[in-house]
Amino acid sequence: MNPFSYLEALRLAAPETALAVAALAVLFADLGGMRGESLRHRAILGAGITAVGGAMALLWLGFAPGYGTIAEGVLVTSPLTQLVKAGLVLLTLLVAGLSLDPRFTGHVGEYFSLLLLGTIGMMVLVSTQDLLMLFLALELTSLPLYVLAGFNKRDRASAEAALKYFFFGSVAAAFLLFGFSLLYGVAGSTRLPVIAAAVALKPPDALTLVALVCVVMGFGFKVAAVPFHLWAPDAYEGAPTPAAAFIASGSKVASFAVFGIVLAQGLGPMAGGADWHGFTTGWLPLLAVVALASMLLGNLAAIAQRSVKRLLAYSAIAHAGYLLLGLMALATPANRPAALAAILYYAITYALSTVGAFGIVAVVERATGSDAADGFNGLARRSPALALCLMIFLLSLAGIPPLAGFLGKFYVFVAATRAGDGSLSLFWLVLVAIALSVVSLYYYLKLLKRAYVLPPDGAVPATRPDVMEFVVIGMTAAAVLGLGVFPRALLEPLALAIQQAGF
Amino acid sequence: MSTLQSFLIVSALLFGIGLTGVLTRRNAILVLLGIEFMLNAANLNFIAFWRFGPNPEALTGVMFALFAIAVAAAEAAVGLALVIAIYRHARTANLDAVEELKG
Repeated sequence: MNPFSYLEALRLAAPETALAVAALAVLFADLGGMRGESLRHRAILGAGITAVGGAMALLWLGFAPGYGTIAEGVLVTSPLTQLVKAGLVLLTLLVAGLSLDPRFTGHVGEYFSLLLLGTIGMMVLVSTQDLLMLFLALELTSLPLYVLAGFNKRDRASAEAALKYFFFGSVAAAFLLFGFSLLYGVAGSTRLPVIAAAVALKPPDALTLVALVCVVMGFGFKVAAVPFHLWAPDAYEGAPTPAAAFIASGSKVASFAVFGIVLAQGLGPMAGGADWHGFTTGWLPLLAVVALASMLLGNLAAIAQRSVKRLLAYSAIAHAGYLLLGLMALATPANRPAALAAILYYAITYALSTVGAFGIVAVVERATGSDAADGFNGLARRSPALALCLMIFLLSLAGIPPLAGFLGKFYVFVAATRAGDGSLSLFWLVLVAIALSVVSLYYYLKLLKRAYVLPPDGAVPATRPDVMEFVVIGMTAAAVLGLGVFPRALLEPLALAIQQAGF
Repeated sequence: MSTLQSFLIVSALLFGIGLTGVLTRRNAILVLLGIEFMLNAANLNFIAFWRFGPNPEALTGVMFALFAIAVAAAEAAVGLALVIAIYRHARTANLDAVEELKG
């Protein structure tokens, strides 16, 4: 074993270190100098320090990226991990931009500090190949998210959302840990490549199958797939809106990335088959059932929702179903680079449109006092720019060209069709997914009809975003439109990075 | 039956008891206890696989268990804080009273 080099570790983990320093700086600055100041000033300082930390991390990721491996895979950095991390930092900065009006709390320093700590967890999550580090990073992501969901101490719904999120999350974490312990028993190691080699040796026995089910349950919770989705609608509705945006965006991207890494690099040899006329043992049939249930329940339950945040939660469940289709495409080794690029493109563009949509919900919520769909009536007359951005986000979520959501779906469905070496074994799921995308258009259009066709109810106060909210919403809308028209701007770096990472 | 197998059976039982507690108990504190059971079942697995595995000189299993204990402590701290938060509003830690959000 080589001697452990702390300098090397610091070089590879420099972006995370920058964020950790920023997290501490936010805490000290807010506790130290800002006690008597107004909430607004404290929030501007907090978001400012967050932005400085994030900018340092982004600069490091962009201009001095260190590639390497420490301690046999505990921390692995490659062009791919650095690209995903840059996306995660960007999403955090966008969420911080939505948090400048924190009327939900008096603890501004803690809020931004937890936001940064959660981001560090996500960044470590995507750059490790060791189960121990993976579990720690997952908890470092989850614990701040639970607290953020319950950040509004005056609001009962917020406490309730956090408690439900916490209970479902910790049971899922316990399942995941149990699964990891069995995988360790099977392989005698916690490193993903060693586990892959061990499960490739023999046909799956009872122990590996239990481990597999536990692992799928644990990650299924993180990505909010049916039947592990029960926390999502409550957590989205009860949590303060910027916190909900964070739960819905960054955590989703990181969870899907790490789920894909574990399935492809750790459990690749025991994929099995999910052909509609013949399931064979492995994780493909499991994911097929989960994906099918997520698409069905997510899309159908979203129709009945009156709260826009709940609607976004059910739409998130449906999108998790589509993304699971992409994960299933990872089972065919020849198909892996294209499938991974499709998943990441989909997840990142989805996260962008979700952050934007939550930004609009935050603005409307402030004007009308709730996130009920009625509050969106006549939005186009009150604020045409907001309504236009809302249309871009919702149509992208529904998958209408030329927006990014359409291409994301297209690439994921193509990857799923090509899975199984031309045997079209997943084509039945792709057909279901396309049919349900049409259903999803119905509830997105219903919300747009409120914004554009219905008159406003009575005397609704002016709906005006503040400057940073407007910048965030505008930027995400431009990104969703831009990445839809020029998908190569994201796809080419992704493909190159995946190739260099040796997938 | 080898020693390893008996350890695995004990840990599976422990996990089952914990899960049953989580699913049936209505008091938030007792649900937290059930979750601790489940985490510790996994820890027992790690120790057993390490002790009876092919290379006990690599301390992977022990290390994993130690880290898992620390994480479980952090999780319990957050969990109790959230239970207190809900208690302040509902004046009870009974989960049946926590049902404002639905749909």
